[in-house]
Amino acid sequence: MIDFNKVNKTYPGGFLALKQVSFSLASGEMAFLTGHSGAGKSTLLKLISLMEKPSSGSIQINNTELADIQYKQVPYVRRGIGMIFQSHNLLKDRTVFDNVALPLIIEGVSHKEIKKRVATALDKVHLSAKLKCYPHMLSGGEQQRVGIARAIVNKPPILLADEPTGNLDPKLSLDIMSLFEEFNAAGVTVLIATHDLGLIARMKYRTLTLKEGTMINDGIVDGLQAQRAPDE
Amino acid sequence: MMALLMACKRSGLLMSNIHSSGLQKRASMLTRILTLPIRHVQQAVGSLGSLWRTPFTTVMTIFVLGISLALPATLHLFVKNAEQVSEQWDSASQITLFLKLSTSEKSAQNLIKRISLYNEVAEVRYISAKQALKEFKILSGFGQSLEYLDKNPLPATILVTPTQRASQAQAANALLAKLNKEREVEQGKLDLEWLNRLEAMARLIEDIVLGVALLLCLSVVLIVGNTIRLAILNEKDAIAIMKLVGATDSFIQRPFLYAGIWYGIFGGILSCIAVTLLAWYLGYAISDLSELYQSDFQLQGLTGSEALKLIAFAIVLALVGSYISVSQHIKAIEPNAD
Repeated sequence: MIDFNKVNKTYPGGFLALKQVSFSLASGEMAFLTGHSGAGKSTLLKLISLMEKPSSGSIQINNTELADIQYKQVPYVRRGIGMIFQSHNLLKDRTVFDNVALPLIIEGVSHKEIKKRVATALDKVHLSAKLKCYPHMLSGGEQQRVGIARAIVNKPPILLADEPTGNLDPKLSLDIMSLFEEFNAAGVTVLIATHDLGLIARMKYRTLTLKEGTMINDGIVDGLQAQRAPDE
Repeated sequence: MMALLMACKRSGLLMSNIHSSGLQKRASMLTRILTLPIRHVQQAVGSLGSLWRTPFTTVMTIFVLGISLALPATLHLFVKNAEQVSEQWDSASQITLFLKLSTSEKSAQNLIKRISLYNEVAEVRYISAKQALKEFKILSGFGQSLEYLDKNPLPATILVTPTQRASQAQAANALLAKLNKEREVEQGKLDLEWLNRLEAMARLIEDIVLGVALLLCLSVVLIVGNTIRLAILNEKDAIAIMKLVGATDSFIQRPFLYAGIWYGIFGGILSCIAVTLLAWYLGYAISDLSELYQSDFQLQGLTGSEALKLIAFAIVLALVGSYISVSQHIKAIEPNAD
């Protein structure tokens, strides 16, 4: 589903964010992406979601080369990728319902269908009661769950999460991780960027470890490894 | 856990897009086409709501727009009314034909009949030699002294009033040349220089009005463009988020384009009101003035069709301004995951 082949990314100014990164993520697979700040986790997610272009190498999603995608086609590719951010990225002047409905409105789904699907998505993240609230009326965890509901409401085959538990307490982090597991069990490919090594150790999923832009490890990380990686 | 997963699958929430059947896709496409007009209406109403939420900026922009458009519209009224006045002057212009002294009364009457048949002639008035002398006695002040003349030195005269179409300088000149060819006519006279000057002045005013109108229209485009640019910058974060969740540029542009249309509609209506009020206010003073000149001239305001054209023109200008702005600025905003 997602294939990276010798991908390099150099930012203007010469900073090499990714060096010869290669990996494949199969359809329906769930994996973690870890590494210290500046290791290149966010850059990798940005490359998948077409926010950045690689300097060299190949990135394919469902055998489609992302470099060949025209500017006008980018939105349609993004509709197939649910994105979740640490900063939630919610529209402040819109209600929870409007925020979650946004991808469906953009797709031109009928109002009746939007109501149904938003209700189901909010029910999934246990926020049905907050339908009419504005983001500033919600806690950090609730805002994160609104972001998750928005990411899954149009049933994307890929979910990307960038530090989804960054600001949350351990219990809430586990709740959100179990949501990702549910989506993955239903066939969604999930890639979660996090530097929460404890969480990675507990979940026992495939982990891609980046250090200064280079992929230094690709495999299931056990508790002890998690304590040490990626420094050693 | 398994029960929860089964519930999820039943609800269809987590089913991947890639598994949709062809039938579902076709139905979905049909729904999208059917909902397109509804979405346009929703975005148009939504953009009106956005304007309503920023009343100060909206009212200021509409006023600037309305006044900017009211100026060329007022100048248009000025030209329209000036043309009306000039037409009245033109129609008053006459060709004076001095007949040969040898022309008999009968020949003069025949000539009048012939001239009356000209398509370019609206009216013909004959002043006999006797009548001319009588008028001259009164106007010149020579009075009795003219009675010592052996014979009347003044020729009979025919005053020819051209039709409106033939009153323009070129046509009037052509008519004069035609009349000069009549054998009874000694000399024909037409104050062409006066007509030419009037026409040149009208053309100059029209050119000035056109120039000023073009500048003001350009200012309307720039004002709306700048207002929309500020609105886009204000919504920069929201636009980035929309792009992240798959919004096309055209989807994001639409509310801003509709905002431009609303500015055009309200600005156009305001300019119509301003011009109508101005015409009404000046109308009294102008009718007082025209009464002093024994003229029935009335200041003409905007007609219904002119008002509609003005509003349509305002919409086009505002739409152009907003389109320039959105096409430049929305593409430049790129989402950032940070």
